[in-house]
Amino acid sequence: MRNIIVCVKVVPKAENVIFDPATKRLDRSKAENQINDADKTAIEIALRLREKNGGKVILLSMGPPLFENYLKLGVAMGADDAILLSDRNFGGADTYPTALVLSTAITKIGDYDLILAGEESSDAALGQLPGQIAEFLDIPQVLFASSVKFEGGKLRVRRRIKGGHETVETSGPVMVSVEMGAVQPRFPNFEKMKWAVSGFHLKIWNSTELNLREEVTGLKGSLTLVKGLIEITPSKRKRVFIDGNVEEKSSRLAELLKERSLE
Amino acid sequence: MIKKELWVVVERDGSEIEDVSLEILGKSAVIAKSSGYSVTGIVLGTPEDGVVRDVIRYGADRVILLKHERLNQYSNDLYVKVLYDLISSELPAALLVGATYYGRDLAGRLAARLRTGLTANAINIKMDEKGLLVFGVPAYGGKIMAEIVCETARPQMSTVRPGTFSKVFDQGKKGKIVEVVPEISKVQDRVKVIDRKINKSKDLTKSEKTIVGGNGVGGDFSLVWKLAELTHSDVGVTRPLADKGIVPRELQVGTTGYSLKSKVALILGVSGSEHFTSGIRDCGTVISVDIDKGSEIFNHSDYCVVGDASEIIPAVIKKLEGKI
Ligand SMILES: Cc1cc2nc3c(=O)[nH]c(=O)nc-3n(C[C@H](O)[C@H](O)[C@H](O)COP(=O)(O)OP(=O)(O)OC[C@H]3O[C@@H](n4cnc5c(N)ncnc54)[C@H](O)[C@@H]3O)c2cc1C
Ligand SMILES: Nc1ncnc2c1ncn2[C@@H]1O[C@H](COP(=O)(O)O)[C@@H](O)[C@H]1O
Repeated sequence: MRNIIVCVKVVPKAENVIFDPATKRLDRSKAENQINDADKTAIEIALRLREKNGGKVILLSMGPPLFENYLKLGVAMGADDAILLSDRNFGGADTYPTALVLSTAITKIGDYDLILAGEESSDAALGQLPGQIAEFLDIPQVLFASSVKFEGGKLRVRRRIKGGHETVETSGPVMVSVEMGAVQPRFPNFEKMKWAVSGFHLKIWNSTELNLREEVTGLKGSLTLVKGLIEITPSKRKRVFIDGNVEEKSSRLAELLKERSLE
Repeated sequence: MIKKELWVVVERDGSEIEDVSLEILGKSAVIAKSSGYSVTGIVLGTPEDGVVRDVIRYGADRVILLKHERLNQYSNDLYVKVLYDLISSELPAALLVGATYYGRDLAGRLAARLRTGLTANAINIKMDEKGLLVFGVPAYGGKIMAEIVCETARPQMSTVRPGTFSKVFDQGKKGKIVEVVPEISKVQDRVKVIDRKINKSKDLTKSEKTIVGGNGVGGDFSLVWKLAELTHSDVGVTRPLADKGIVPRELQVGTTGYSLKSKVALILGVSGSEHFTSGIRDCGTVISVDIDKGSEIFNHSDYCVVGDASEIIPAVIKKLEGKI
């Protein structure tokens, strides 16, 4: 198999992001970061494909320099290479310029059979980037996949659809986004981690290397704009706590369930 | 010239229209009424007449039927092509698509080809004074809603989360029907469907009473089934349980599963992530059991029981068996 390129995003853990209703700003400073779960699943699928069919697994990410360490974690999981697309001008991008930057880099890497991404990122939760990258590369797409097999030069992918799943086949380079949890991602290998940190050279490409003008990337190249943030008010539920010992609680629960069945 | 039209892509399975498409039609009709816009439903394939009529009754002023046998089944290559051609010649102000698997598969790529902005999973849509659509989308696990606009490009595109808006039905509503036969003889479908498996399991969105088990239920899920049987309820789960294959994915509740509209829902051992709670928002009474007093699920519940599910469930079963 030729190159397998995996699009990886680093995201803050949602539960650590604090919203300040007064300033309407998000405080991400205390948030711990991690590789997006679905992307970790994608890395694992890539590694398994390589173990069977050969080729190289290349991680690709657009983001600030702090992403470097997380990409190295991916290298310690077993990826062959990692490239970070980082430039001041790339900041504030919505999906359109993000897809443009990533697809430009993918074309520069070249020689690929498969692009993998996560089904969606937990912070933005758009799930639309994979389709946009595929469009820019003019390759077919298969989204929400739970299994990817390479057989006789063809890719066989199982993807989720409403109420079930489909098995599809395509040949030639293809973009596949994978479901979080489709496979269990392996842990970074300790020896490889040492190498990833001290021996491995992570490539960083900026807008000059990608030959992208400032106007088409980042905030300037974005087509959508966040006008404001609003705290979602919790639902107006009764929140009545039922006290007592297990016996009393379960009696009350049984009653509640029976009452409600008669309504 | 951009037309003051709100377009809705109608997703259907044979003669059955997806609820989310009808919900978007309903919402669009409300927005259109107060702003001098009109609503167009886009139907693809060769459906029975009833489908087109229903699209009008549920809110469209006009239906454009992209009529071709090959469009009866969703295909990314074909759908993106025919919709791109139609939209770039008709120039509607907005295009809305249900955030279903097919809808999301379609929207990203179509937006890129149209070179326009796309918002995902809207849970709120309004039009501001300038006639700009403002899409509300949940962010960061749903604690926050971001308001997103697309100022410079057209159409303004968004996918819309199923179960968000209400359907509006008007039996006597009249509308125009325009048939277009797209030229797709040379378009290849690069992704070939070899096999399709639809689980004929219970449609959770129609469940009247549901018992939902989460990670806190522990290894033995049979007690949940037992409790469901005793109370004539259906069973749902949180995503981790579907991921582990304890029950089929079709029983998953939440943003990547189904939204419940049950009269009563009993929630067992669930932490209350927004990805989950968005799926129980429309339930009548919500009753929860969780071992952790501080569990977020209690903020989304009418009756809250702090306790160990492995003790509570068998005790409730005993009570029900004894008395029913
Ligand atoms: C893109 C994306 C999409 C997602 N879509 C969905 C979705 O559609 N649906 C969904 O559910 N999730 C979804 N998730 C996952 C979601 O964020 C949560 O991780 C998930 O809902 C947690 O499931 P849980 O509450 O069962 O488990 P946990 O978070 O592990 O919570 C378990 C709960 O059980 C309690 N507990 C533990 N032991 C006991 C006991 N003995 N008795 C009683 N209580 C006990 C704990 O206190 C805790 O509150 C999605 C996530 C992402 C990133
Ligand atoms: N900045 C980024 N760099 C690399 N890949 C990304 C980036 N943002 C998103 N992706 C990929 O696109 C997928 C879907 O992201 P999203 O459309 O933001 O939900 C993610 O799971 C990643 O695989």
